[in-house]
Amino acid sequence: MKFSGKTIFLAATLTLLAILAGCAAKGTSSYVVLLRDPAGKVGSVAVRSAQGEQVLTEEMKGAALDGKREPFLATQEQLKRDFGAAMAALPAAPIILRPLYFRGGVKVLSPVLKQQAKDIAARFLRLAESGRSVDISVVGHSDSIGTPEAKEKAGRERAQNVADALVELGVPREAIWVEAHGDRQMVVPAKSGGEPENRRVVVTIR
Amino acid sequence: MLWMHALYSQAQPTPIGYVKTVTGDAWVSNAEERVKAQRGTAILLGSQLQTGPGASMGISFKDNTLMSFGPDTQLTVDEYLYAPAQNELKLSTRLIRGTLNYISGVIEKLSPESVTVKTPSGIIGVRGTQFVVKVEDEQ
Repeated sequence: MKFSGKTIFLAATLTLLAILAGCAAKGTSSYVVLLRDPAGKVGSVAVRSAQGEQVLTEEMKGAALDGKREPFLATQEQLKRDFGAAMAALPAAPIILRPLYFRGGVKVLSPVLKQQAKDIAARFLRLAESGRSVDISVVGHSDSIGTPEAKEKAGRERAQNVADALVELGVPREAIWVEAHGDRQMVVPAKSGGEPENRRVVVTIR
Repeated sequence: MLWMHALYSQAQPTPIGYVKTVTGDAWVSNAEERVKAQRGTAILLGSQLQTGPGASMGISFKDNTLMSFGPDTQLTVDEYLYAPAQNELKLSTRLIRGTLNYISGVIEKLSPESVTVKTPSGIIGVRGTQFVVKVEDEQ
């Protein structure tokens, strides 16, 4: 006998694997892959299709958008081939600057904060002159004291004062977004006397 | 100050983001017009973003969400709500074809599940923070 039972079994297994691989390749034409972000964090994505839901929680795990195969492990070659151009076009990471802190009840800029605004404006203008398209968010955050409306108002006033200072220093008003987030993004927990750490304006340059 | 004018002159109605990088031919279309994308082109609610063959484009939204696209890509921004104090947070886009590289911003951070990318075959629910997705044209 030329072929042993073992050889036939092996051949059959290989054929089956080849068929399965062929199916898998077809299923990968439209797909999503979860990555580790530049800050080192891995989040998760869920893919909902007619087949139900698949959740990816591990780095480099992929799922077909039609849900017609089990999640798979993507390869670096595959990412480079399919997403090299998209990844190379990623804009520079937003620059989140050191917050400007305000004393309780105070909404105007102290001399120290005015100096901080000067540094921010200088940085913005340097980036703009280098040919980058820059825009800037000025976001007022409040501490836990007061009604939601009062918190938003205080934060907005502080942010507006910072924005006005930046405009005076040469930053075009059209490039600035003024926002108030109330106490949605506290950095320390609420305390009965209020929290100076939360009473801040955060400027982000993009 | 001409350079500033050039960068921000398209800023009405209120933009929700800007084009930051472009290679090759790419376009931003709104209800009113279709403009060739360049650094500083405004993205509006409802904008359709498109890259040609061999082209790529990167954009940032005002909540720090970043998106970049490879060649032959088409994406529409259907919903963009960014009012954290009112708890109004939503970003929904539609990737019609092509490739997208996505990095979460503040909307996803404050309200996971409020960020979705619809595709012809499935919907991606985003809980952070970076992923890539490819939609192949149906043959």
